[in-house]
Amino acid sequence: MRKFTFGGGIHPLSDMHEGKAETRGREVIAFAPDQVVIPMDMHLGAPSVPTVAKGDTVLLGQVIATPTGARGIPVHASVSGTVSDVGMRQLVGRAPSMCVVIDNDHRDEWVKLTPLGTVETAPADQIIPAIQQAGICGLGGACFPTHAKMTIPEGKVVDTLIINGAECETFLTADFRLMLETPDRVVQGTRLAMRGMNVPRAIIAIEDNKPEAIDTMREAIKGQSGIELAVMKTKYPQGGEKYLISSLLKREVPSGGLPLDAHVVVLNVGTAAVISDAILDGKPLTTRIVTVTGAVKTPSNLRVRIGTSIQDAVAFCGGYTEPPARIFFGGSMSGIAVPDDTMPITKANNGVVALTEKQAVLYEESPCIRCGRCVRACPARLNPFQLKAVLDVNDDLVEAERLHIAECCVCGACSYVCPARRTLSSTIKAARDVIAARRMAR
Amino acid sequence: MPKRDNLRSVFLNGVLTENPIFRLVLGTCPAIAVTTSTMNGIGMGLAATFVLLGSNVVISMLRNFIPSKVRIPAFIVVICTFVTIIQLLMQAYVPSLYDALGIFLPLIVVNCIILARAEAFASKNGVFASAVDALGMGLGFTLALIVIGGAREILGAGTFLGFNLLGAGFEPVLLMILPPGGFIVYGLSLGIINAIANRRSKRAITGKEGVQA
Amino acid sequence: MNLRVSAGPHLLAKDSTRTLMIDVLIALVPTTAAGIYLFGLRAAWVLSVAIVSAVISEYVWQRLMKRPVRVGDFSAVVTGLILGLNLPSTIALWVPAIGSAIAIILIKELFGGIGHNFMNPAMFARAFLMASWPARMIQFALPERLLGASQAAVGVDTMASATPLLMPGNWTTYDMLLGNIPGTIGEVSKVAILIGFVYLLFVGTISWEIPTIFVGTTALLSWLLGADPLIAVLSGGVLFGAVFMATDYATGPIYFPGKVIFAIGCGAMVVIIRQYGNYPEGVTFAILLMNCVTPLLDRFTVRRVYGTVKKHA
Repeated sequence: MRKFTFGGGIHPLSDMHEGKAETRGREVIAFAPDQVVIPMDMHLGAPSVPTVAKGDTVLLGQVIATPTGARGIPVHASVSGTVSDVGMRQLVGRAPSMCVVIDNDHRDEWVKLTPLGTVETAPADQIIPAIQQAGICGLGGACFPTHAKMTIPEGKVVDTLIINGAECETFLTADFRLMLETPDRVVQGTRLAMRGMNVPRAIIAIEDNKPEAIDTMREAIKGQSGIELAVMKTKYPQGGEKYLISSLLKREVPSGGLPLDAHVVVLNVGTAAVISDAILDGKPLTTRIVTVTGAVKTPSNLRVRIGTSIQDAVAFCGGYTEPPARIFFGGSMSGIAVPDDTMPITKANNGVVALTEKQAVLYEESPCIRCGRCVRACPARLNPFQLKAVLDVNDDLVEAERLHIAECCVCGACSYVCPARRTLSSTIKAARDVIAARRMAR
Repeated sequence: MPKRDNLRSVFLNGVLTENPIFRLVLGTCPAIAVTTSTMNGIGMGLAATFVLLGSNVVISMLRNFIPSKVRIPAFIVVICTFVTIIQLLMQAYVPSLYDALGIFLPLIVVNCIILARAEAFASKNGVFASAVDALGMGLGFTLALIVIGGAREILGAGTFLGFNLLGAGFEPVLLMILPPGGFIVYGLSLGIINAIANRRSKRAITGKEGVQA
Repeated sequence: MNLRVSAGPHLLAKDSTRTLMIDVLIALVPTTAAGIYLFGLRAAWVLSVAIVSAVISEYVWQRLMKRPVRVGDFSAVVTGLILGLNLPSTIALWVPAIGSAIAIILIKELFGGIGHNFMNPAMFARAFLMASWPARMIQFALPERLLGASQAAVGVDTMASATPLLMPGNWTTYDMLLGNIPGTIGEVSKVAILIGFVYLLFVGTISWEIPTIFVGTTALLSWLLGADPLIAVLSGGVLFGAVFMATDYATGPIYFPGKVIFAIGCGAMVVIIRQYGNYPEGVTFAILLMNCVTPLLDRFTVRRVYGTVKKHA
């Protein structure tokens, strides 16, 4: 069978099964902590505004914040209980975030939305608004509000919906377990999204290191017209939207454009599953699957309430095996390091990984030897070592722009392979963000 | 009439501060091509100094008569005259040196140093000052060629001005008197001189020592 | 809790500059061993002097210039060893000492240290020695011992033997493959070089393009010009140059089309120098010339960046 792939890319942590071996056999377990801290700015875009105050009693699924702007989404209580605090907290973002803290009474009393019917009977024009009301944003990591992504602007044509089950990041097995355990949810969500956007074709894309998920999903899409399954060669960063599109359809997202400009919308498998939860059961987004692994006693896949702190999740997994030296959300390639383990798990976080003192090495940069590994690794076909040289030596942003620095997706592949341990991707990202900010200001 | 101090600085300017080879990087072609031995370097340096002196003096004298639009051709004619003179003289009295310098002797006509001094100095200054400038620049050029030629001759032949310097046990580094050797020695001496100059200017900025180069 | 926060990726590939250099050294083990076996202890002396001089030059220079001392990355060892393997075993020991110092100081350190040299240091040093002491550089000894059951020609002068390139017909293909021929320490045993090549490909230190296209071009062009392609490849330093010197990271092109052009250029220059030049062997100068073209190749073979439209220059 033909397997899809793209140019460039790497096979990270190939000597340790991409860090996935510990959790790929672990069934998803639900976990609700005693307290959740729910940030108002989990999604990309303007933060939501809290509608509850300290001392209020809230039910599971109750709206606790209303959206700002057309792209905004509401936030729902992920536990039932009492609001113990509403205020600013410094999380992993640059500025402090407004957070609502709820003490869990463990009664899980629901306030649900109105289900729209079955996959076939739900009115197509109500699907996208219902997705917004359910507070759904992309669960793959970027957390772009899903309703905004699915709203196709006037004049644009979308012919394909891609359901992203690549999960190319290291350590993560959350999407894998989801596809294995609830394939029908994914297929139902896919069908609903197709109907909502009026797109005739959907491709569920999975990398070939997840044969069980491929078999399960193939079984689940039997008899579903318009839904295909695509098997891709395992390679990082295949799950990045741009590279997923070029893998599957041999199309490129034009510079500065969106997948829409390549006539594609990409949704994560997790997002598809929560769409079906929202439309069919009226359940807003209050939980997500997180892979908790690394230096923890029982590495697990947990279905946690949004706002569960890292330490609660880790404690549920038996605690740390030894004091961690580094903890990050997501996989080891593009994950975000956290300053301490009180940080809450948000809609964006698909993994929590703790590294031991021995693993969390800080390397010293040495001179570039021009081995060209970063050039071969770059999926955007940039020249990372040249960009880094231009930025390090002269801080020459004009030249960096000419070298298409804006196309860098900060996948980290260049830094990963660099034998001189040069901080290629972070240097490039910093300069790229400065250039983008200047352009916005202009 | 310029003061003595000024004349001294004009002279030293050519020898050190604006040494045509090491600081202005002018006239590099003869500097690399003919410096296979010290003697060749001296010969080339003196020939160029002679032309420089003659052209600077004559051009300075004529500076108020040459229309600025045709000054370059006029300079070239003056320079050509002196090149022809030195060429004939050398052919007559030092034929071996004449042969060694070959094409690079007539090529003094297009030597950037001479034209540059005519343009930048002689056409704007008095006769005496121009003569001093020519001597300074000529000496600077000659010294530079002696340095390069000397280094190449010592390494590449084991001799200096024809005298055996390093003894019979020394096996000459043949490459040094081949063209690549010229580039290597020139590049290295430029580098060393730049390093010294950088250190001096740094010291001058930090004010530890007032350096007048 | 004391956590380290820094940008990702949080775990890196195991390869470092040092491991890459060690891989090259491992790949050179068969060649070195064959060279020492064939040419005797004398060859070991030449190689040791070259390596020691390279390492000392780098250490002393970096100390003098108050730069970080990077002898620990083993790149000087690689340079020294490759230069040594490029010399005849009979050479006076001061020649490799000077050669390594020139390679390290003149070409590597003066141009900015590792990764910044515009020519292969060992290759430049060899060219320097060739031009400076040509007589010493072409005095090849016949191997003291032979590898395998050899049919090597007997009665040939042991000193000043010309390589098979000059006297084809004296040696069989078998001898040329194993290394029972006169030549530099490293270039004679093609089998040993090929073992190193396979190792480097296997561990991913080099890619296949440059060596294979280089050798292929040499064979094809030699054949077109009426020479025996087998002798063209198996005699002289083509194979050693193609595997260990043309693949130098800092002085070779980055992009695929550039690598192809570079390799074709190397192969073509070798044949042109051999057929029409003054030197019997042209591998050194071919690689040095193509080293100089590398920046140009990198500039004109840039890939089209994802999502952009290629500008027509």
